[in-house]
Order: sequence, then C-alpha cells, then structure tokens
Amino acid sequence: MKSRCLVRATVSAVLLFLVAGVAAAQAPVRHPYYGETHVHTGWSFDAYIFGNTKTGPADAYKYAMGLPITHPMGYQIKIETPLDWMGVTDHSEYVGTIALANTPGSSISKLPVAESLKVRTPADVQRIYLWLGYTMIDMKPVKSLVSPEVAGTVWKENNDIANQYNKPGKFTAFCSYEWTSTPNNRNMHRNIFFRDCAKVPELPFSSLDSQDPSDLWNWMDAQRAKGSELLAISHNANLSDGHMFPIDVTEKGNPIDAAWAASRDRNERLTEIKQIKGQSETHPTLSPNDEFANFEVLTYLLGDPEGHPPQVPGSYVRQGFKDGLTMMAARGYNPYKTGVVGGSDSHDTGVPYRQSNFFGAHGINDGNIKERMSGHVFAGMDVRYENPAGVTGIWAEENTRASLWDGMQRKETFATSGPHIQIRMFGGWNYAAGTEKLKDWASIGYTKGVPMGADLPAAAGKAPTFIVWAVKDPTSGNLDRLQIVKGWSKSGQSFEKIYDVAWSGARKRDAFTHQVPPIGSTVNIAAATYTNTIGSIELKATWTDPEFDPALDAFYYARVLEIPTPRWTTIQAKELGITPPEIVSPTVQERAWGSPIWYTPSAGDRAATKNSMTVADLKAKGAVALDDSALTKLIVGHSTWLQNNVTNGKFVVAWAPNGLQLVGNVNPRDLQPSEVGDVATAAYLGHSSSYSIKGGKILTSVGNAPFETAVYKLGNKYYAARSNEFGYANYEIIPVPSQLGENMQFQLQ
Amino acid sequence: MTEPHEAPVRPGPRWRFLHEPLVQFFLAGLALFAGYRVLHPESGNSRYRIELTPDDLAQMTVSVLAQERPAPDAKEMSSLIDQKVREEVLYREAVAMGFDQGDEIVKRRMAQKMEFLAEDLSDLKEPTQEELRTWFNQHQDQFQVSGRITFRHLYFSPDSRGKRALPDAAAAAERLAGKPAEWPGAAREGDQFMFQDRYADRSPEQVAAVFGGGFARALFLATPGTWVGPVESGLGYHVVVVEELRPPSVPAFEEVLPDVRTAWIDAQREAYKQKSYAGMRAKYQVVLPPGVSDSLASGAGVTPRALGF
Repeated sequence: MKSRCLVRATVSAVLLFLVAGVAAAQAPVRHPYYGETHVHTGWSFDAYIFGNTKTGPADAYKYAMGLPITHPMGYQIKIETPLDWMGVTDHSEYVGTIALANTPGSSISKLPVAESLKVRTPADVQRIYLWLGYTMIDMKPVKSLVSPEVAGTVWKENNDIANQYNKPGKFTAFCSYEWTSTPNNRNMHRNIFFRDCAKVPELPFSSLDSQDPSDLWNWMDAQRAKGSELLAISHNANLSDGHMFPIDVTEKGNPIDAAWAASRDRNERLTEIKQIKGQSETHPTLSPNDEFANFEVLTYLLGDPEGHPPQVPGSYVRQGFKDGLTMMAARGYNPYKTGVVGGSDSHDTGVPYRQSNFFGAHGINDGNIKERMSGHVFAGMDVRYENPAGVTGIWAEENTRASLWDGMQRKETFATSGPHIQIRMFGGWNYAAGTEKLKDWASIGYTKGVPMGADLPAAAGKAPTFIVWAVKDPTSGNLDRLQIVKGWSKSGQSFEKIYDVAWSGARKRDAFTHQVPPIGSTVNIAAATYTNTIGSIELKATWTDPEFDPALDAFYYARVLEIPTPRWTTIQAKELGITPPEIVSPTVQERAWGSPIWYTPSAGDRAATKNSMTVADLKAKGAVALDDSALTKLIVGHSTWLQNNVTNGKFVVAWAPNGLQLVGNVNPRDLQPSEVGDVATAAYLGHSSSYSIKGGKILTSVGNAPFETAVYKLGNKYYAARSNEFGYANYEIIPVPSQLGENMQFQLQ
Repeated sequence: MTEPHEAPVRPGPRWRFLHEPLVQFFLAGLALFAGYRVLHPESGNSRYRIELTPDDLAQMTVSVLAQERPAPDAKEMSSLIDQKVREEVLYREAVAMGFDQGDEIVKRRMAQKMEFLAEDLSDLKEPTQEELRTWFNQHQDQFQVSGRITFRHLYFSPDSRGKRALPDAAAAAERLAGKPAEWPGAAREGDQFMFQDRYADRSPEQVAAVFGGGFARALFLATPGTWVGPVESGLGYHVVVVEELRPPSVPAFEEVLPDVRTAWIDAQREAYKQKSYAGMRAKYQVVLPPGVSDSLASGAGVTPRALGF
C-alpha cells in the first residue's frame, strides 16, 4: 500500500515535471507581422466605376511590398512602410463584369445592359455606383451580369495572382474575397480568408446567393467539411445600423440561440475595428466615460438612404464584447468572442496608411486634393470624414499562409489606426509583479498564461494578472498611455471601465477620478507639425485587476495611444494654404488595440453572485405587468425616483405630459449600465429626451435605437425591466431619498 | 492674312483664342485627322478600317479633364489614339481568330495558340553563354541586390534617461571609440533594448522597419569594425558597431545565370510581341471622324469646372 502510494507520487512528480518541462520548452517565439485584410482593385465593380480601371490584384501586392504603383487619377503612390502580407478582397458580387462591360469585344459588352454601365462622364460614376449598389441592397441583381463563367474565371485568376506573389518567409498573399451583404443599407460585409489556396472553392459565396450571414456561415461550414479552412472578418460594424452585434433576433428574424451563436463563433473569428470609413471600437454615446472614444466616428449608411438615422447600439465591437458576456451569463453562449484587425477598404488598389500621405480611397471621388478638401459629397458622405487605413498585426511564428492564418484563427491579433505600433498582452493567475521588466517576459507570458484572443483558465482564488506591452512606430508619434479596457456583466447589465496601466512622463493619477491627466500637445496646427518631445518609446506593465469578482464574466483588452499629431485634413489645409476644416478634429491620437482575453466563471463561482429578480421570477411571484393606462397613471405628469439594484445608483425621472422625460440627479461616480447614453451630463445640463407609452411599455431611444421598459407591480412595490437587460428587472421605484451623498466619505479615501 | 504690323509677340485679342487648350485640341484633332486621311486613303474593306467617332474622342478628353489635367495636346492626343487603335487592332485580330465564338472554336484556337507560343519559344534558339553574358553586361541594373548589414548596438533610452539619453550615448561612444566589436567594456554600457541587440544580414528596408529610415541610412554609411555613435533612431540613441557591410552589388554572371536566361527570354518575347503587333497594325487604316471640330465644339461646356472636378 505504502509503496504503491510512493510509486504513484513518483509517477505524478515525473508527470508534473514532464508537463512543466514540455510547457517551458513549448513557449512559442512569435513576431508581429503587419498586413492588409481589406483592399479592392479595379476588379471590384465599384472600384472600376470610381476610375480604377487599370490596376488589379498584382498591383495591390506590388504596392504592399513597397513598389510604386499608379493611382486611378494617374499619379504615383508608394507605401511608407511595406507590409509583410496582404489579402486582396474584391467584391464577389459582379466581380470582373463591370470591367468587361467597358472592354470592347467582351461578351458582356455586347449585352444591352452594357450600355448603361459605360462610364462616359464623371457624373456616370455616382449614378452607376448607386444603381448597382442598390441592386445588391434590394437583392435584385442584374441577371445578365451575374455570370458564373466570368465570376469563376476572375476568382481563379485572383488566386493565381496570389500564388504568384506568395513568397513563404518573405511575403504572404492570401486567397480572399469580400461578401458584400447590405440589406436595407446596413453594412453586413465580411471578408473571407482561406488558409490554403489549393483548396478554395470554384466560386465564392456572394451576397447575391444570400444576404444573411448565417447562410454564409453554413456555406463556410460546408467548405470546412470538405477540408478547406477559412474564416470571416466582419467590418464596418459602425455602418451596420445596429445589425452587426444583435442581442435578440437574427437577420432572418428568429430568436438568437445557442446554435446561431456557435456558428458565428466558429466562423467569425475576427472583426475589423478601424478602417478608412471610421472606427468600430466604440462611440461616445456607448462609452461616455471613455475620454478617447471620440475618434474617427462616422455617422453614415452606405447608399445614404433618406430619412434613416443610423442606430448606434449594436454597431460597435466593445458593446458586442459586453453583450456577449451577458449572453453567456444569462443564456449560456457567447457569439461575440471575436479578435480585432484593422483594414483599409481602399478602392484604389494602393492604400493610404498615414496622415502625411492621404490620397483618398475611392478613385476620382476623393483622389484629388482640392476636390477632397472642398468636402466633395460622395454618395452622401463628406469625404473629409474619411481617414487613413488601419493595419492588422498578427503574432505568428513565421511569415507563411499557414502560420499567419493560424494566428488569425486563434485571434492573436491586434489592430492599429495606421502606424506600425506593436502591442501585446498576456493574461494569467501567476505572473509575478515586475515580469514585464524581464528579458524573457513574452516567454513567461505563454508558459504561465494565455496570449491575446484566448480564454483565461479557471479562476485560482485570486485576481487575474496581465502583462501588457507596447512600442511606438519608429517613424510616428511617441506613446501617451497604455490602457486595459475591462468589460463585465452582472444581472443582465454590462459595464466597462478603462484603466491607465502605464504612461509617459511624470504625470500622477488624479486622486479622485484615478485617471491620468491628458499629455498635452506639441501640434502646431497652422504649420501642421508636431515634435516627439513628449511621450514614450515603450510602455509596459504587469497589472492585476483591482476589482475582480470571480462570479462575473469579464473581458480585458489593451489599447495604446500616441501623442496628438496633425490629422490629414490639417496637413493638406497647410499644403493648400487654407484653414483646416472644423467638421473634423485638427489632431488625432493614433492608437492600437489588442484582441481581448476572456474570463468565464465556473458554475460554482457564478453561483456566488446575487442577481436581481427576472421578469419570470416576478411573474412566478404573482407580479402584474402594468398596462398603458396604469403606466400613464403611474408616471405621466409625475417624477419617479428609481434605484438601479445592480449598482445601487439612485436617480429621478420627470415625465412631462408633452412626451419629454428628464433624468436627473445622476451621480457621475455611479457605474452606468450599457446603452443609457451620457446620463450624468444630460442630468446636469437638463437635457431631456422623448418617451411614449405603448403596448404596456415605456418607449425611449438612445443613439437612434429604440428601448422599451416594462413595469411590474408586486405587492406595493414597482419593478422595471429594460429591453436590453436580458430579462432582468433591475430597477425599483423608491421613496424620495433624503440625501444622496452617503458614500462621500468612502469615495474620498 | 496677317499684316506684319499686326503680329505682336503676345497674340492680340483676335488670336488669343488660339491659345485656349480646347481650341488647340480641336486643331490638333483636325490636323491628325487630315494627316491620317492623307496617309490612309479610304478603302472599301471595313475589316481593316478603324473609325474613331466623336464620342470616342470626347470620352478620351473627358477622362483627361476629369483628372484636372489640361486638355491633351497634339502629342498626348496622338498617344491616346494609338492606345485606342492598338486595343481595337488586337480585338479584331482576336475576333478574326474566332475567340468570340463558341466553345469548340475557342478550344481549338487556344490549342493552336499554345502551339503558336511554343513555336515562338522554340524559334528562339537557346542563347549561348556569350550572348547571355553580353546581354547581362548591358542590363546589369536589373540584377542589382540591395546591401546587407550585420551590426550590434547599445541602446540609450529616452524613456529611462530623458534628456540625458543623447549625452550619455555620446559619452559611451567616446569611451568605445576605436574599440573592436568584442570589447568587453561594451557590455557595461546602455539600456535593455526591447528587441534584438544584434541583427544579422539585414537589408536597408528591414533595418528601417525596426529603427526608422534615418537610422538605416546612417548605419549603411558607418565604418565597419569599430564602435561609432551616437546614431539616432525612431526609438532613441544608439552606439553601433557594424560587423559586416555588403554594399549593393551586381552578382557575378554565373550566380544569376538562370535569372539572366529568364530575363533574356522575357525580353525576346516582348520584342516579338512588338514585332507581331507592328505586322498586324500595318494592315489597318485608321479613320478619324469627319467634322471633328464641329461636334466637339458643341460640347464646349465640357470643362473641368462645369464637371465639378
């Protein structure tokens, strides 16, 4: 007995030793490889119409490798820092056919429809773009232009060119394309990347096959079953009108369920967080406490539909991450565990990545400096809102299709707003303080924890620690600060908080807000210059979450900001000798974002939290939902004091008979749940919004999205449930409080 | 027509319109048209007749104007017309070969085309070493490879030293001046660098990607073998020792013989293409629209401003 125990102990010890040894030996050595996930050439129907008639995928690869190419308007363009890899993503819809319609003698040029596709005057550009765009938006494709023969030939040629430019170890060219689904002007576009060009299908799945992403995922599953690995990258969530990250219903109108979530998670490994048409990280309405959220916001929908203000909730990835956590806690699945990439969406074959070299992205619509700076209105968009392309970094072993694609698949990626900033983060339970100072910190990162894009292993009875690191682009601005963005969820509500973890200079955290003050600016707007006399070269930290609750789902991602530098509009205003436009900021803080690391509580840990009652709980206890007349009697012409039972925040709502409501007495220090807007400022300034009562709900709106609140009466108490809080009734009507500052002493410590 | 005393250096108001680009363009068009007519009198065979319509010419002009470039002058217009003609010639030859017909013909023709190509290549007799060597000597610039460098560096971090980074680097450079790469004292200098302390066999572009372009340029000018500095990069200050520097070079003929052969074949093929096009082109007569000035004059509103570009 005794000896058996000894043997077992020895075996375990040997096993442990082996496992530890193997783990240590296996710490991968990965490098950041910069590349492009999203670029169009003259083979895209719209790019051709924009005047990009002479360049194709080969020119895009040449540009990425550092060779000069010709812009559609005839001048030379050259990349500032060459890329390590690229996937050309021409629109699969009408691919090649517009070029052929304009090619004398081609079969398509002889069709009657070709006449209406010929570009004769600049006015034709917008007309044909909108016409073809709308045939896709309305799912009424021009049948004669949907030619499998043409599409198949162009797709094959695209892949042949990728093979020709793919030089393992030097430059990687992917087989890829864009699925361009735009139902009701909502951007649902996805870029599809194949791991192995030898296994690509004969034809890509286009939005003319289906505009529904779940059909795309089914097709991708079928490809995978045939042995072809592929992944999708969603982009321009910011132009999706709230449809990129839905919480209740799918595009088909069915309730979101576990199968839909699993399909999305399996296929959509990444999302593009920034490109020429704006960033999709977050919006000031969704992140009122993020002082850096106001960055390259674009309020627009493709095709510029009339009378259609775009919806903010559902259109940004940070909120998607937060809603994913709540879906996990409330429903047991998370469809939104996506990594992040940056891209361009240039339609010029070449791509402007820098403020100092911005040549537009849509051929003749924005390719001329005077036209651009005069605020040319291109399909409803003032082109001055455009900004340089984002870039993707992949941490991978080597510059090959397989290694890079695997990095995308495991989401060990980051995005930058254009400069080649490096950013990296690891999460784990056992990193010692000061690990970031060790020479082999990255190897420790892997052996004692997980990289960006991964899940933290089960909680170890303490708070998780993160090693986070960033280095500036040697040709760009110094770094201001390195941050960790945390999101978490409780009782159907989700929250976010941004921690400054390393910053340049001798700045001190504000004693009360705990925020690091702004770095200041060296920008001379008139001269369009800046100096690197402020800011850091490298920022790094080993950071432990000071507010960790093992019972709550959470994510963490790193963000680093450069010092302020002049925006392209400021630089080009100087060139032209005019005043910089005021519709955009004269300066920007370039930045990089890492993919998140997720924490999911075990069932045991989860049980430790105390949630509010759900609507189902209330109904089971005999609570009654108020109908329209009961609601009217309760609130209209009254002021109601409410408590958010998750945060204990108290506030009052004055409901005017004319349909205006004013939320008041909001303490800026109270955490606010998702999608309530900047209620603290609105309360302070007295900004009201509208409400109405209909169908037993109080209807309100935030960021052009509708929200409903139902009220339940249980005994003599009233509880309210907001429609974005996953079935929880988190609000309670309370008596008028006699004082609101009881926590003051605690907060001043 | 013009009396001598009315011929000023600057054209008078009556003749100033001759300097308007659009007018120059019409005149150039007319001249070209006339020229072609003289050189290529009309023949009855439309198979070999390429007619450019006023629409064609207008489209060419618009595409130039749309780029906010001045209206094409006679030389540019002639080159645009040449391009157009070339496209049309090749298209008609392709049609004549049946490329626009059904599958059967296309297949047969493609097979023939492959043979055609093979013949072209086999027609090119295998070049001799000497032919290739002579050609290589004439086209050396095509084969130049960029320089390569192997270096070590000590890093002086503005993050940890602030304004002292530069003087500290200068002082260290002085202590190490003239010392070889392996000098033991070097290990005591500098700060931990976030990437590598030694880089082997790097091109200027690879150095620039890590340190910035200015550093890469300075590094390739440094004298190999001893510590020098300070050298500024996008990340701070460095004292560097170049261990090995290979300047841009043209490899020996023998090293790149297969590449030379490929390039030689490409060049021969290009020459063949030019020759065969010239053969095809010679059969064609190009006709510009009659009354070219009238029809374009009616579109005189086609100016950059009116188009909004």
